[in-house]
Amino acid sequence: MSQPATTPDALDAPDAPHAVDTPDAPHAPGSPDAPPALQALDALGPKGPYRSRHRLTISDVTGTPMAELSLVPRLFVTRALAALRAAATPPLEERLAALKRAGELFATGTVAGMTAAAYESAVCRMSGTPLANVRIAVEAIRLSATEAYRSVQAARPVGAVGDWRDPYARGGTAVWIRRGDVFAVHAAGNHPAVHALWLEALALGYRVAVRPSRREPLTPYRLVSALREAGFGTDQVVLLPTDHDAAGEILHGADLSMVYGGQEVIDRYAADPAVLPNGPGRSKILLTADREWRDHLDVVVDSIARHGGTACVNATAVLVEGDPAPVAEALAERLAALPSLPPQDEKAVLPVHPLDTARGFERLLLGKAGGARAWLGGDGVVDDLGDGSAALRPAVFQLDDPLDPRLGMELSFPCVWVAPWTRAAGVAALRDSLVVTAITGDEALLDALLAEPSVKNLYIGDHPTHWIAPGIPHDAYLGEFLMRTKAVIRG
Amino acid sequence: MPTASLSVLDVPFDERPDPDEYIRAAMEWHFGPDTGSPFWLRKAGTLDFDPRRDVKGVADLALFPNVTGELRDVPVRDLIPQGYGADARIVGVFESGGTTGAPKRIVCLRDWLDRLTHGLSADLDGLGIPRGVDWLAIAPSGPHMVGEMVAGTAARHGGLMFRVDMDPRWVKKLISAGKAEETDAYVSHLVEQAAYVLRTQDIGVLMTTPPLLERLARHDDLIELIGEKVKGIMWGGAHMDADTRDLLRTEVFPGCALYGTYGNTMILGGATERLGLGPDEPCVFDPRTPFVTFSVVDPASGEPVPYGERGQVVMNHVSKSALLPNNLERDLAIRVPPPEGAAGDSVADVGPVAMFDDEVVIEGVY
Repeated sequence: MSQPATTPDALDAPDAPHAVDTPDAPHAPGSPDAPPALQALDALGPKGPYRSRHRLTISDVTGTPMAELSLVPRLFVTRALAALRAAATPPLEERLAALKRAGELFATGTVAGMTAAAYESAVCRMSGTPLANVRIAVEAIRLSATEAYRSVQAARPVGAVGDWRDPYARGGTAVWIRRGDVFAVHAAGNHPAVHALWLEALALGYRVAVRPSRREPLTPYRLVSALREAGFGTDQVVLLPTDHDAAGEILHGADLSMVYGGQEVIDRYAADPAVLPNGPGRSKILLTADREWRDHLDVVVDSIARHGGTACVNATAVLVEGDPAPVAEALAERLAALPSLPPQDEKAVLPVHPLDTARGFERLLLGKAGGARAWLGGDGVVDDLGDGSAALRPAVFQLDDPLDPRLGMELSFPCVWVAPWTRAAGVAALRDSLVVTAITGDEALLDALLAEPSVKNLYIGDHPTHWIAPGIPHDAYLGEFLMRTKAVIRG
Repeated sequence: MPTASLSVLDVPFDERPDPDEYIRAAMEWHFGPDTGSPFWLRKAGTLDFDPRRDVKGVADLALFPNVTGELRDVPVRDLIPQGYGADARIVGVFESGGTTGAPKRIVCLRDWLDRLTHGLSADLDGLGIPRGVDWLAIAPSGPHMVGEMVAGTAARHGGLMFRVDMDPRWVKKLISAGKAEETDAYVSHLVEQAAYVLRTQDIGVLMTTPPLLERLARHDDLIELIGEKVKGIMWGGAHMDADTRDLLRTEVFPGCALYGTYGNTMILGGATERLGLGPDEPCVFDPRTPFVTFSVVDPASGEPVPYGERGQVVMNHVSKSALLPNNLERDLAIRVPPPEGAAGDSVADVGPVAMFDDEVVIEGVY
């Protein structure tokens, strides 16, 4: 999602507003002043779980403290990455078997003393992600772990083999090798499913360090714990929650890194060949005049609202050839029907935040929406649930210009900008999109969209922007970044 | 009130005078027309109290205004008490970090530096750091007093000192300009120089800053060298959090005694880590009272915070050679009762003032 230029990014974002830093005033456990027992989310270091003195209290969306996250100092990061670097990579078969076990364990088992059901409920309350979305994420992570080999092999160049022992090497071949040994992930906290992708690095033989988002560290804590219980050594994958001043040490100690953030992050690391930035998605849907938009309303609504609208693959903009007003009106009607519910409710579909955070999103939206025609959410999007939390309700705004920069303003709830699209605006109106779903029969236009480098993925016809499957790239294959080819010939 | 005897100002290094009696004698000295410095004698005319009459002990130092800002402009010779006469032995002119505007200057006299280094050396004895071993200091020199302090301590402890120079002002400029790569290159340059010394010389004591210790710890070969040779590590100049301290003590340099100092140019030295703390106790720094005293206050009210609570640190330096009372520093610390017989407060868990951002943080999405 996009963010204002002043917003800190994933690398040095201060705590989410409902996380409170607690420098430890020494207190005797069990004394009257001791805080109630919270779930301890330890760092997972090269010698096992590590409980630091410097901890962060993480509250649920109602403001009730839930967990204490251990924040590790820079020196711990240095040592952990050195341990990853010194470790050996286990054989491929072992890695794949352990990944499969870990995926099943993560999805259905008891990990670090927590059942799958307890985890799902806790993530809902901690992050405000609706239960249904958590379940989608759990399945995505399970699938990524069990299908990791298939996913990564899809990225291998057809001229490359996996080993110098391959018969092809007799006459000369390419071998697909790692660009390094240690991979770091500075994870986002907007959706648990972000943790599906980096499992591919383990499949490829990288040792992995994950710096969790302090908004929702529970998913990577559970996932790294599951990987360890499934057989990955403590020197193969580590969880390093840190303050922002230790984030740079993770970048330094890793060969390659993946970071999540806003445009600022993208710009900062654009020129760094060792860093793969994941930025705003700004995904879009195009409806041309040769198609009856009413037949595709379901897929448009689903593209906007699935995942609670929090993912980069959610549609941020809908461009309509002709009058966009009827489309905006129909979307508003459909989206208005979504219920506001606590995130752990089976029927919840909208993201929930602490009330103040939700109001912050609302201010941001209404500040930007000036001059746009509001079909939904013009009076605000905050729905106070009465327990300190609030659901963010959908918003539909109509713009007049297909090149209005607000078409790329991505917020982490179902918020969509609808605008007219013209042949004159053409592909330019669809640039800088992680996904474009093009509902059109115009092959020349499809050719142009396929050729446009800043359109990362093109879905033709009735496919939601959030469609994904094993072996399908998200923003190119991660393997393209993690691997390279080396010429090998043997006698 | 009887006039305090000035001899208490020259109390032997091993003795601690009665704090309040000592402060009264210091007021006589610093505000006596024949003994005080031109700076303080001029300043006396602007005070709404009479230091020789109204300052009866350590607590009354809070009557003074904070004059440290004036040390940016004052001719340094005006800071030397006239009572020393022509045989004032000057070690040097030293400056604060100079990172927030123009640097503040003090004059360091020999009698004070000797008192300071005697105390440090005695602590090293207490830690079991042998005398006669050689030292490596990766620390600021030039206008910064810490280099002089460490050199004096090494000499007093019977060691030769090897030096790697560090320019903290330049580092801070690089950091504030966002030049992370240049900062990194400069620190690597320091580590490289230190490595030459560690590889070739028999270094028994290492003095440096926490960030440098962390950078040394990136190199397994240097960790090994330090583990083989170094008996004691003296650190200061920057904060060290409790988790880092624990890792250094238990994992990185388990065979070395770690000895922390919490120093500051405006007290012409530093407070030092209390000896004999258990592994789970926070790092407590005791100032050398009554020469240096602390109080930990609520910055809004100026009142002391309760013991165990966090507040801002107020520092006083009162020696024969200098008077710098009631200086509110930007550091935050937990107020800790002082050792028996000491005045003022001790501090623990020292850290920079924390910043809080009340803006809604919107986290990036992939």
